[in-house]
Amino acid sequence: MKTVFVRPELCIGCRHCEVACAIEHAESKNLFDAIVEDPVSKPRIYVEPAINYLTFPNRCRHCDPAPCMQVCPTEALYRDVDTGTVAIDYAKCIGCSVCAMACPFGIIQFQNVFQTDNDREVNAKCDNCIERQKDGRIPACAEACKTGALEFGDANELIRVSRKDFSMRIIKSAGTDVEVPKIPENIAAFRNIMKKIAETREETA
Amino acid sequence: MYDTSEAKKIAEKRALDAADQEIIVKTIEDGVETAWDRLECQQPQCGFGQLGVCCNRCTMGPCRIEPFGKKPDRGVCGATADLIVARNMLDDLSTGAAAHSDHGREVLEVLLETAEGKSQGYQITDEEKLKSIAEEYGIKTEGRQKEAVAEDLARAMLEEYGTLKNSIQLVERAPEKTKQLWKDAGIYPRSVDREIVESMHRIHMGVGADYVNILLHAMRTSLSDGWGGSMMATEGSDILFGTPTPVTSWANLGTLSHDKVNVVLHGHNPVLSEMIVKAAEDPELIKYAEEMGAKGINLVGMCCTGNELLMRHGIPIAGNMLDQELAIATGSVEVMVIDYQCIFPSITHTAGCYHTKVISTSEKSKVQGATYKEFHPETGLDTAKEIVRAAIENYPNRNHGRVKIPSKPIQLMAGFSEEAIRKALGGTYKPLIDAIVAGSIKGVVGIVGCNNPKIRHDYGHITLAKELIKRDILVVETGCAAIASGKAGLLVPEAADLAGDGLKAVCNSLGIPPVLHMGSCVDCSRILVLAAHVADELGVGIGDLPLGGAAPEWYSQKAVSIGTYFVSSGVYTVLGIPPKIFGSPNVLKLLAVTLKDVVNASFAVEPDPVLAADLLEAEIERKRTALGI
Ligand code: SF4
Ligand code: SF4
Ligand code: SF4
Ligand code: SF4
Repeated sequence: MKTVFVRPELCIGCRHCEVACAIEHAESKNLFDAIVEDPVSKPRIYVEPAINYLTFPNRCRHCDPAPCMQVCPTEALYRDVDTGTVAIDYAKCIGCSVCAMACPFGIIQFQNVFQTDNDREVNAKCDNCIERQKDGRIPACAEACKTGALEFGDANELIRVSRKDFSMRIIKSAGTDVEVPKIPENIAAFRNIMKKIAETREETA
Repeated sequence: MYDTSEAKKIAEKRALDAADQEIIVKTIEDGVETAWDRLECQQPQCGFGQLGVCCNRCTMGPCRIEPFGKKPDRGVCGATADLIVARNMLDDLSTGAAAHSDHGREVLEVLLETAEGKSQGYQITDEEKLKSIAEEYGIKTEGRQKEAVAEDLARAMLEEYGTLKNSIQLVERAPEKTKQLWKDAGIYPRSVDREIVESMHRIHMGVGADYVNILLHAMRTSLSDGWGGSMMATEGSDILFGTPTPVTSWANLGTLSHDKVNVVLHGHNPVLSEMIVKAAEDPELIKYAEEMGAKGINLVGMCCTGNELLMRHGIPIAGNMLDQELAIATGSVEVMVIDYQCIFPSITHTAGCYHTKVISTSEKSKVQGATYKEFHPETGLDTAKEIVRAAIENYPNRNHGRVKIPSKPIQLMAGFSEEAIRKALGGTYKPLIDAIVAGSIKGVVGIVGCNNPKIRHDYGHITLAKELIKRDILVVETGCAAIASGKAGLLVPEAADLAGDGLKAVCNSLGIPPVLHMGSCVDCSRILVLAAHVADELGVGIGDLPLGGAAPEWYSQKAVSIGTYFVSSGVYTVLGIPPKIFGSPNVLKLLAVTLKDVVNASFAVEPDPVLAADLLEAEIERKRTALGI
């Protein structure tokens, strides 16, 4: 099973993934034309800040079974078997938003998309960049992310790396290589400062 | 839709001052967008930018460096994180130095025009200062008309902006030992404009590629600001408008008036606002205001233009940087006059929600939606009168039903120029030095700089100032920090009760507050002069003195320059907001550690003001020990 695996500790909130996603879903697929298209394409991934200024790029997990798919009354949501994607047929979507209610990650948003000619909002969820994947390319968000916070690959392989890192931290055995990069001191110091700033505002009022 | 108790909670989180909180609630109720709202909308902010590893200098880029040790570790041109961070910092710093210095240039130009008899309404006010500075410049003063001396001095100072002689006279005020350190490090400033232009050259792709060398030039550029452009701005303004002496006045949004025409003077340059003060005293205009139904004309200051007017005329000050939108949201401002720096581009948008007119006065800082009144020294007073008249004419448009002004302004004492402090001490720094040696005052810390909505408004300034005075550390302030202290009641002699026993006794015997308002941001130069005098009396360098600096809520590029000239001059400086340098461990180390070996001072970042006070105290103790006291 291939997936975009999220390593939130590596996300620095640049939102390049959002930009790349919006461009990928624009008619032109090009930044300079995309910004003037009507309807203008919007991201399907959301980089949300937490109170401590750390960020989490929240994106469709393409669950199987998928709660959104299960509740969709029109079968607008369907599974693309090759890529394991929960995909959407815009023409069938009636905008009832029960999918959004069922989604455990809260990532379904309604937008005007260029594929529908009438002016209505439909479920414009992450489609796992199926078209790119069928071309042998990786999802746009993962390609755009320079920090490795979004990594595309075999889920078990990606999880293995995190698992190993976690195990190492528990065992703390000397001399073992850790595959997941440690947070460098300077970045940890910066995050610590930002956390303090966030806390000061919360705590002193 | 809003809920008042919810709005109150939000306001408490945003600002420390009760008067500010009241108006923040009003902005929420009125649906007026402020910097705090916009900061929320900006979340999350790009980490590459915050870490300083984003380079947008050329069209091979923009490039960014992966901060976790992976690829990309170089820009297209090959620039590393160290280089990109250093270049970005030099860019910011030069922008700040340029802002201060350009302000200085304008003051000197008015001095020149005044000397030549070409300006309207201006005069040479402080002849004594004119003389003493002219002497520093080697200009003959004996038996000469003050205008002739002023003309020579203005020309001599203006010449140093692009001088060929490769030296700035006022830099000579630094103690010998400090100057020697600068010479040894190769950072002795040569001219005002030159360092800034050279910075721009050095950060072009393919010029400077050694981050240490770039940062050394940053230090030199900052020194040309602190001991050059900024100092010229201060001295030029003192000559023209008078050197400040202690005055009593009022602070916070409560200084706005319910029944007078309110004019807020916002920005940094005293040149036009000084004329507005004159215009507002014009009996004809006062009569006109009464005809329009007002009880008079009420001028209040904001930010550093406000500080300049407070220091010299005791004009009340409505607030600091984050108060600019709040002042308008009181619904009581007829005109906000803006010159330049720290003015939100959104100010006309805010004004559009009320009857307020924004009048911009500098060709450099036109703002869309503002009325532009071109200002020239030759017609300075006429322009000022036009502005006051426009305010009076706008008074009938005030919707009294939408006005809310906090009721209680806070009393303050300002006007502590270096000369005034020296005078208060009896003409010499000996009493201060004695108190420091005896330990009743442990040291002196300059708290300076802006507000930043990332920190609860004024919380950083006030908590730090209180912490320091409690520990017998005298606090001197400029800029928004000083205004914060005014609002919090720290600028009155009675505030000495909050100080430790040693400092309290000194303040009581001199009748001064434990926190001294030394002026606007360019007046950080006054802090340098004070430090230089004390060092001279002791025969040491500034870096040997038990001094510290802090910018708990800074935001601006000018603050980068100020912080750097503090450190370069030997003053350990703690920042409350991280500068955009954390993407480079090497730059961090250089600024936080290595610099100590060069100038005996360094930077630290600590947003918690109590911990910042710990750091400052420890550093003051380190210097005290080294001095053997
Ligand atoms: S591109 Fe990567 S680092 Fe940037 S916001 Fe998205 S997930 Fe985070
Ligand atoms: S909004 Fe569209 S996709 Fe979602 S459940 Fe309704 S029809 Fe299906
Ligand atoms: S996989 Fe494609 S559609 Fe889904 S979030 Fe990433 S870029 Fe957007
Ligand atoms: S100067 Fe170098 S690092 Fe900067 S944008 Fe150009 S190529 Fe990239």
